[in-house]
Amino acid sequence: MATQDTFRDINWDDMGGVGLSGTGKQMLAFAALYLGVLAYDGLLLQDGLNVLLLSPLGMEGSALGQFVANTTGPTLWIPFEAVGLDFTFTWDFSGTDWLFIVTVAVGYFYGVKPLQNNPRLAANYWRQFKKNRAAVVSAIYLAIIFVIGIVGPLFLQSPEIQPLEAYQPPVFMTVPNTVPISCLGDVATNAAGTQVCQGTWAYPLGTTGEGQGILKLLVLGMRVSMQVGLITMLLVITLGSLVGTTAAYFGGYVDEVLMRYVDLQASVPSFFLFLILSYFFEPTLFMLIALFGLLGWEGTARLVRSEALQRTEEEYVRAAENAGASDGWVIRRHILPNVSNTIITNASLLIPGYILFEAALAFLGVTDPGIASWGKTISAGRGDLANAPWIATIPGIFLFFTILGFNFLGDALGDALDPRRGDT
Amino acid sequence: MSMRWYVARRLGWAAFATFVILSFYFALIQLAPGGGEAAFLFSAATEGGDVQQAEQTYRQIRGLTGPLHERYIDYIVNMATGDWGWSQTRNQEVLTAISIAYPYSLQYALPATIVSIVFGTGVGLYSATHRYTKTDYAGTFISFFGISIPNFWFGIMLILVLAVQAPEVSLFGLQLLPLPVYYQTDVVLNHGWVSWENFRQLVMPIIVLSTAQIAGQMRYSRATAMEYVNAEFVKTARAKGASDWRVLLRHIFRPALIPLMTIFIAQILGLFFAGAYLVEVIFQIPGLAKLSYDALIAQDTPLFMGTSLIPILLLLLGNLIQDISYTVLDPRIDYGDR
Repeated sequence: MATQDTFRDINWDDMGGVGLSGTGKQMLAFAALYLGVLAYDGLLLQDGLNVLLLSPLGMEGSALGQFVANTTGPTLWIPFEAVGLDFTFTWDFSGTDWLFIVTVAVGYFYGVKPLQNNPRLAANYWRQFKKNRAAVVSAIYLAIIFVIGIVGPLFLQSPEIQPLEAYQPPVFMTVPNTVPISCLGDVATNAAGTQVCQGTWAYPLGTTGEGQGILKLLVLGMRVSMQVGLITMLLVITLGSLVGTTAAYFGGYVDEVLMRYVDLQASVPSFFLFLILSYFFEPTLFMLIALFGLLGWEGTARLVRSEALQRTEEEYVRAAENAGASDGWVIRRHILPNVSNTIITNASLLIPGYILFEAALAFLGVTDPGIASWGKTISAGRGDLANAPWIATIPGIFLFFTILGFNFLGDALGDALDPRRGDT
Repeated sequence: MSMRWYVARRLGWAAFATFVILSFYFALIQLAPGGGEAAFLFSAATEGGDVQQAEQTYRQIRGLTGPLHERYIDYIVNMATGDWGWSQTRNQEVLTAISIAYPYSLQYALPATIVSIVFGTGVGLYSATHRYTKTDYAGTFISFFGISIPNFWFGIMLILVLAVQAPEVSLFGLQLLPLPVYYQTDVVLNHGWVSWENFRQLVMPIIVLSTAQIAGQMRYSRATAMEYVNAEFVKTARAKGASDWRVLLRHIFRPALIPLMTIFIAQILGLFFAGAYLVEVIFQIPGLAKLSYDALIAQDTPLFMGTSLIPILLLLLGNLIQDISYTVLDPRIDYGDR
């Protein structure tokens, strides 16, 4: 093995030497396409772009007919008749969706792509990472939540309020027949002689007090949680590492001014800031993400700064400076890559916090009431604990495991990526 | 740089930060659309008053008349002299309402903080010195659980298990279960602050709040103690035959105490954060957070702004004391870096 490594062909394109690398071209193509469609959506249509994939058979359904009738702006139709599939999916692009697409793309270009290009490094990380069983299980669970959260809502219309179908128990449960207004499942008589209502597969996890299916709310909530967690994380990481590395590299007045601002920002917790803003302005999911992302990066900045301070003292930074590298180049090519382990670990530990904050604020009822957040469903089940405990319980279990999963993942990533933590 | 100069600079910075935050609040109030004005005018109209006059009165009460710079100076002076405005929904001075609510928050937050400091630090130190034992894994598990479980959901689940669906359990004539679901203010009036009845209704809030705090405390004290576990002076102590307890208390705990101590102070002062906010709303404790939440729902601007300023001021104060106590407690600190 070692002899093969001795004379390695160096692909200078991959090293960022001359011209654009393959990944660079892909990124450029993506950016062009993205900005084009975004401009088309934002500037020309004013209202969101709708993507509608459907088979003509699906048009018979009244819900979809209504949706088509209600949408303004052009709709992208992709008929599925040819493939012989009978389903529809709809996606009305919101500001949050646009940000989410960028987040996923950044994750691909800066997370997946480099690992693909460096199979040996990837294998090494994987060896470290898989030592932690809990983290592997968490990663699988989170991947499932992520995929369902993205794909699921495309096939779901937002849940309607159906008072007649309220308080249906989950399939594995029975409740006294007096709890639901009308029992959709089987009505049986139990040992004590009272009539009980059994759950039905129409609503596998039961319904809320407004008759909305909990499974549906869960799937919609997965998207909200993932969007809040991932987009906010990307914003925080970008700003935090930018400020942190800049402050550390330039030092002096730049450092002083930036870090004093960070101190100031740290003294107003984002949670309270959002409460205050939600009092004065109409709260939306976009506002929540923007607020936490743009005004919540002080912790990351401090962490990155303290790490980058050590890097700026290294020989290679001085060598680059003496070779005539610009400040931006040194930060981008020498300091940032060398603090990236800290950043990645910090990133994965930030996500659960944002998911938790979003759920907590939705629970308090100060976020956009039109969004099916897990926190909102828990809040809806709060008053029905005696009769219908499943409403508050089920979304909470998912919330808990999602947060736990990200915490395990972050911890394991820290162990796998940080050479100093490797054997402790 | 001398220590005195550092402390003076730190104090000056805290004052400046407070000033910036107050200015930010002023800007928000000025920019805010409505903010209870409609409700005030409506009540004036239904009571047969003159709407235009009412509007003027309202703007006067809210401090929205006069040129901007005068309003700004008025606002800052009022805030500094303790005139935080008048709460319409409670018919009280904002600061009076806050001082009435504060003890209700303190009575559960203080025990929860003490429990979490004692327990969290203890377990954290123990697992730092006994790494890879069953106890360490158990400690790690508890800390992951405490960090990950959403406070508000945990509270609801406790209500479900210990209050709504709990069987009746009594011991020596004292009723243990089920616990009361919501906090009753009458209990304090009838039985006093320190009574079994009052304690019973505080058990769940204390559990919920301390679970999250213990987890954080444990992680932090474990990490802090870890720095000293392999230090030279600890090895020397072990080599000369000091017992485990002596090593733990005299050689690891003492140096670790300085960073931990500063955290304690910040924690005790910063009692009212996101977690406590939700705890009060869930258990209906008429403390500071509930006051703030009710003001938010009822669109009582002065009360809401006042109550939401308290945690921010406490945070500033906590950080100030933390930084200063660090310099006082740790003789090794270098001021040149700050």
